[in-house]
Amino acid sequence: MAEISEAQPKESDETPQPSNLDPETMRKTKPGVKRLILTLSVLFSFLIGLPFLLKSVEIYRSQLPFRDIDSLSAAIESNPILFPCHFHAVFVNFPAASSSSSGNQLGFSIYSRMQKLFPKTPLCGTCSNYSVSVTLDSSGLLDGFKYDRNLDNFDENLDEYLESVLSKDGKYTVVVVNREDVEEVRAVVGKFRHAWIEGRIENAEELVERIAEIFVKVFVNGGKEEGSIHGEFMPVGADGRVVLSFNLLNADPRDWVYDWDFQSIEEILLAPIVEALRPLADVGVESQVLYHTPKSSFSYWDEKLTSHVFSTKDLPFFVNSNEWHLDTSTAAGGRSKVLQFVVYIPSSRECPLFLQLPNGELSLTNGFISPMWGGVVVWNPPACLNISESTHPLRHTMSLKDMKKVFEIFTGQLRQLFGLKSDSMVTSASGMSILLASERGFAKWERDVLSRQHTCFNLLQCGTTLGSLSRLVQSLPRMIIMDEIGKQVKFSLEAAKLTLTNASLGIYDASAVSSRQARSLAEDAFYHPSMMSVSYYSFEHCFAVYSPFFLPVSLHVLLAVLREWKRYKQEQKKYLAWKNKGI
Amino acid sequence: MESFNFPKAVAFLVVLIATNLTGAISSTVSHSTATMHTNNWAVLVCTSRFWFNYRHMANTLSLYRTVKRLGIPDERIILMLADDMACNARNKYPAQVFNNENHRLNLYGDNVEVDYRGYEVTVENFLRVLMGRHENAVPRSKRLLSDEGSHILVYMTGHGGDEFLKFQDSEELQSHDLADAVKQMKEKRRFKELLIMVDTCQAATLFSQLHSPGVLAIGSSLKGENSYSHHLDSDVGVSVVDRFTFYTLAFFERLNMYNNASLSSLFNSYNPNLLLSTAYYRTDLYQRRLEEVPVTNFFGSVMETIHTDSAYGALSGKQLKSGEIKMSSDSSGEDRQRILENSDVKDQGSSLNIKDQQVTCPFTRTLSTIHERVEKVKDVDGLVNFGLVLVIPLLAVSSWLSS
Repeated sequence: MAEISEAQPKESDETPQPSNLDPETMRKTKPGVKRLILTLSVLFSFLIGLPFLLKSVEIYRSQLPFRDIDSLSAAIESNPILFPCHFHAVFVNFPAASSSSSGNQLGFSIYSRMQKLFPKTPLCGTCSNYSVSVTLDSSGLLDGFKYDRNLDNFDENLDEYLESVLSKDGKYTVVVVNREDVEEVRAVVGKFRHAWIEGRIENAEELVERIAEIFVKVFVNGGKEEGSIHGEFMPVGADGRVVLSFNLLNADPRDWVYDWDFQSIEEILLAPIVEALRPLADVGVESQVLYHTPKSSFSYWDEKLTSHVFSTKDLPFFVNSNEWHLDTSTAAGGRSKVLQFVVYIPSSRECPLFLQLPNGELSLTNGFISPMWGGVVVWNPPACLNISESTHPLRHTMSLKDMKKVFEIFTGQLRQLFGLKSDSMVTSASGMSILLASERGFAKWERDVLSRQHTCFNLLQCGTTLGSLSRLVQSLPRMIIMDEIGKQVKFSLEAAKLTLTNASLGIYDASAVSSRQARSLAEDAFYHPSMMSVSYYSFEHCFAVYSPFFLPVSLHVLLAVLREWKRYKQEQKKYLAWKNKGI
Repeated sequence: MESFNFPKAVAFLVVLIATNLTGAISSTVSHSTATMHTNNWAVLVCTSRFWFNYRHMANTLSLYRTVKRLGIPDERIILMLADDMACNARNKYPAQVFNNENHRLNLYGDNVEVDYRGYEVTVENFLRVLMGRHENAVPRSKRLLSDEGSHILVYMTGHGGDEFLKFQDSEELQSHDLADAVKQMKEKRRFKELLIMVDTCQAATLFSQLHSPGVLAIGSSLKGENSYSHHLDSDVGVSVVDRFTFYTLAFFERLNMYNNASLSSLFNSYNPNLLLSTAYYRTDLYQRRLEEVPVTNFFGSVMETIHTDSAYGALSGKQLKSGEIKMSSDSSGEDRQRILENSDVKDQGSSLNIKDQQVTCPFTRTLSTIHERVEKVKDVDGLVNFGLVLVIPLLAVSSWLSS
């Protein structure tokens, strides 16, 4: 009976509303939002977690200043680095021209001659807007000097005197001394920043030409024809270091064994040179003595010269790399440059050994260089020249005098390796100028030339290295860039900016130092060992690792949300329909 | 239905990101500087280990001896060997390695300086050597210290295949990795000219992706061809030298230091009938004519020398009239010419067409057409990304169906 009684209330419920409530389109109660909120909260938590996930799988890349790098590269490549130069001409003992207008005229004519000598497009490292000033001195300058050409060291004394008398403001000066009693006109360039022309000067045109040539060819271009920079004459390593490695080679120690006192010669001759090259490179010096090191080229006996002779055609084959173990340097780091200086002592079978030049003469130096490698000098031992001496393999030591001679040749070779000439004469259209030798290996104006050229070269290298680095980093967006690289790039850019500032102010040494720093930092950043393209995450790798975890789950969550949303909308529609219909 | 818009939007976004990532920014900066040729370097790599790959180590050591004899010093040679032959327990002649059955020359005599040996010969180390990115502590003898005037010879031998070279039986060097390394070397001006010699199977594919100027490459065989060993030494028990290297060495036996043969005579000296493969070389990236390039430009060591006129200092008073003298190796004539069948086969799909018509089985026919189509696809990265992106809607469909 309960069933009947139960069935009755149902029927009684349904009977008052037989066909109005259609469960498909209407419902009486508000739809519940619990399920919707549940699914939405799960989705929401996923969405909140998404940025954390992306952050945790992010490739660590230090931010490199790409725009700055590009602007620096563009600036360096488009505008060659030019330095301001100031030139000064002093005329002594010219009674005819002693008015200010003639001084201005002279200055103007020198300036216009110089303009003709400069190339149309200025080369990097040469002078930009230069100024020429003229002083007419009526024989007051050289009053304290005893002028006598026949004295020894006349040139050196005059040089020292002029250095003490002229103002030290970095100007390049030519002093023209007119002496009626001296016939020949000589031009000499000193060890500092001045030169002089002395003698009986008659032709003003020629004089102006000569002065302009000294200014341009000597002080600006360094004695070379054009001032262009060749990469094979820049032997400074990428980290700003050069190691000079001096080797004494005994070809056959059964004949004689030679040793040398390197310490003393280093203190006397090498230390000033190392000091002079300080702004250009950090120079280290090493030495060793080797035995059993024959050369690999051949020589022949020349009866007329009574000596063994090898020609310039044999020079490329002289260095016997199989037996000469020269590259055993411990001081040189990975990116330094090592220059080898070799003293070769021939065996008794080939002694004395001389180098014959193509014109038939014997070489005075018996030496040669190979750019970016170093230099070789053949030294014939005195034991060879007196054959009567006993051939016991005694240990001889090279005398200090011999060592000095050899090291002077080495200084000449070092100059050649840096792109200057080893001899001390400059020939130009209007005549010969003599260059005075400096005990520091390089005269002050030569150091200026080298500083300018090295600044230019280093900045160009820095610009291209940083450009390559930025291109590399941008082309591999998933490669890790460590903080250290970012810091090195930043410091390199700062050093480059400092170099440009120094160059515009005309401070040669400081600009060389900062350009060297800029280059070495840029190279350190580019050659950082962590940037190997085999070890970066490709996009496929990342996708393949993370998608099996997240993709199925996230899809299910999304679909659940969508389903619940759809259901809620449907029920809401039904409820609204009922509400509109009923009541 | 509107519920599917969301996955479609996601798919679209992912496609966008994918195409951005696959577009590589490549800009080649070529500086044509007329720098002097200052020195020569050689990087000799033997990529195999184990006793039956004896011939690869003999190849590399033979080339090492040749290059040293012609003048390149140890400090400018980087030799990478697994070095497990000479003292192998299966070696009947301990501490000796031969490249000919007459046993005339012991390659492993004195004066062999191996820079990377054993398990140090890896793809990573090889690429580090080429690009110069070493740790600070790596000594100078293990670095390639070339500058912008250097000519570099890279010789690789071992087992290779289509666009790869196998290293030590565990990893591969891909052709695009090599091309990338050469590109970075060129950008950083680590070489003036580069000669790549590869003696493996399908060697020519290894340098197919090179783009940098100044690179010359020669491989011992084309795609689809094998490179063969020359002869079996019955005493040692394994093959002792490969054909390509054997004929290369034969060419260099005729040379000495003062002699000058040109590169074109070297390349023309390979006879396909004797090699049993086609020695293919590419010169499209190299500006100079091969007849003018002496072999010693890469294989020897001719130094550029300049005479020192005078000393600087007290001797400077004495002047010398003679000027500077630059020595450069000039190339003389060539050897007798041999005609080399140099088929410039660049298109790779043509050989399959002939097979198609002959085979009647429909299955293999469809398979070969699919293979052809796949070969023609240029943008492989895009295809892969498209496939990955396609996963998402498939997944959506399957989860919808399962719910």
